Order: sequence, then structure tokens, then C-alpha cells
Amino acid sequence: MPTLTTFIKSLVITTVIALVGGGLFLYSGLYPMGADAPHNRLTYWLLETLRERSVARAASDIKVPGDLNAPERLLAGGADYNDMCAGCHLKPGKTESDFTLGLYPAPPNLTLAGDEHGHEHTGDTENDDEAIKRQFWIIKHGIKASGMPAWGPGHDDERIWNMVAFLKRLPELSPDQYQILTARGQDSEGHGH
Amino acid sequence: MNMKTLATVIVFSTLGIALSAQAHDPKEHMKDAEKPDCAAMKNMDHSKMDMNDPVMQAMMKQCMNDTHNNDSEKDQAQADHQASEESSGDQHSEHQH
Repeated sequence: MPTLTTFIKSLVITTVIALVGGGLFLYSGLYPMGADAPHNRLTYWLLETLRERSVARAASDIKVPGDLNAPERLLAGGADYNDMCAGCHLKPGKTESDFTLGLYPAPPNLTLAGDEHGHEHTGDTENDDEAIKRQFWIIKHGIKASGMPAWGPGHDDERIWNMVAFLKRLPELSPDQYQILTARGQDSEGHGH
Repeated sequence: MNMKTLATVIVFSTLGIALSAQAHDPKEHMKDAEKPDCAAMKNMDHSKMDMNDPVMQAMMKQCMNDTHNNDSEKDQAQADHQASEESSGDQHSEHQH
């Protein structure tokens, strides 16, 4: 029994020390919050794991439309991508912008294939499906404290699916193809925007 | 007094819903809208073009729409030109009389 009592006492003391220590560190202001000072590895891993697990769980029930390859979706989604996303996530022929240089974490370059911008897609249908659901969820809900806004409040699901459809093909596009697909021209209403 | 408060709340809520429904209309982007550079399609490698590829279909659709618009603009310009010629012709013939 003395062993159990000692164990509980130790546990309580450790917990109190951790809480007090954490509180002191929190209020000390010592942690660098500037976007130009990267997190240490542990903090980065904790935040990344928290984000990825949360998004994967939240996106798991999303139903993917069967017509994501429709040309109309590419045209509608391309124009919106160019207006709303290209500043941070770039377009073919661009490798950086003020946003990619200044934001932390840096927004992924979506003109690169998934494994090149930090998300490993194995190319099989199930993983592609997960990646598509993930993109839809992130566009709709955004990511806290990352610079990624939630586009859901001003955009319906169809419009967000159009952007996801465009993202699927974006890594393969040349600058010329990108320009043609994303130009709103005079007839954007005819594309179903 | 209560009715006034209720009416105010209803008016502001309706206004809020109406304004949020107009959020981010694509027409907002039309002022600075770029036109598709369809001439660039001529320089693309046609041997690699797959007409069943949705990207190719989308580009064709975009450029067909663009051509159609250009044609419409030309037709409209021609029609306007003809109309102005006719009216000036009428005026000219009136002057002759």
C-alpha cells in the first residue's frame, strides 16, 4: 500500500509541477510568435498531427460527387482558384509570392503533385478519394491560425467542389492551359458560375 | 414599444441574411477579368492533345465561347455600322430631295 500512496503522491506532484511550469512559460512570453521564427520540431509535430487527424476525422463522411471530371467544373473552379487561391498556392510558372515567403506554415504549392508539396498521395483510388475529401473540407472550413480562410460562409458546396475538381488537374497544367481555363472572359455566367 | 423592438430586430436580421446571401458574387471579379488567350492553343503540341481529356474539352469550350462572343461582337458592330450607313444614306437622300 505505501507503494501506491507514493505513486499517487508522485503523480500529483508531477502534474502540479507541469501545470505550474506550463503556466509560468505561457505567461512569461518567451515563446516566439513571429511568423519568421519557425516552431521547434516537437511543437510542429504536435500541431501538424493535431491538424491532420482532425481534418481526416471531420472529412471522412463527405460524399464525393461523381462528375468531378466535368469540363464545366474545371472552368468554374479554375476562375475561382485564380481569384481566391493563386496568391498563396501559386499558379504554373510561379514558384513563390509574398504570401508563400511570409506565411508560416508556408501555404502548399498546389501546382505541384501531392507528394511534392508535402502530402503523400499514393495514386490509388482510395487515397485519392481521401485527398479530395480533405481538400473539400479545408476549402470549406479553413485551418485555424494558418492563414487559410473558411470559404464556406460565402460559397456553396457546388462552387467548392468545382475548385476541388480544378485542383485535381492543376499540377498537370502548363501556364498557357492555366490562363485559358482560369480566364473569366465575358462569358463566365455561361460556365455556370 | 415591444412591437417596435421586434420589428427592428426582424428588419436587421433580414438585412443581414440578404447581405450574406450576396457574398462573393463572381460578377465582382468581372471588372478586371482576363480574356482567355486562345491563340496560345495554336502553339500547343497537337499530337499530345487528347480530345477526351476534360482539360482539353474545357479549353475548347472556353475558346468556343470566346470565339462566339467575338463573333457576336463583330456581328453587332457590323449591324451597327450597317444601320448607321443606312441612316446616313437616308439622311443623304433626304438632303438630295
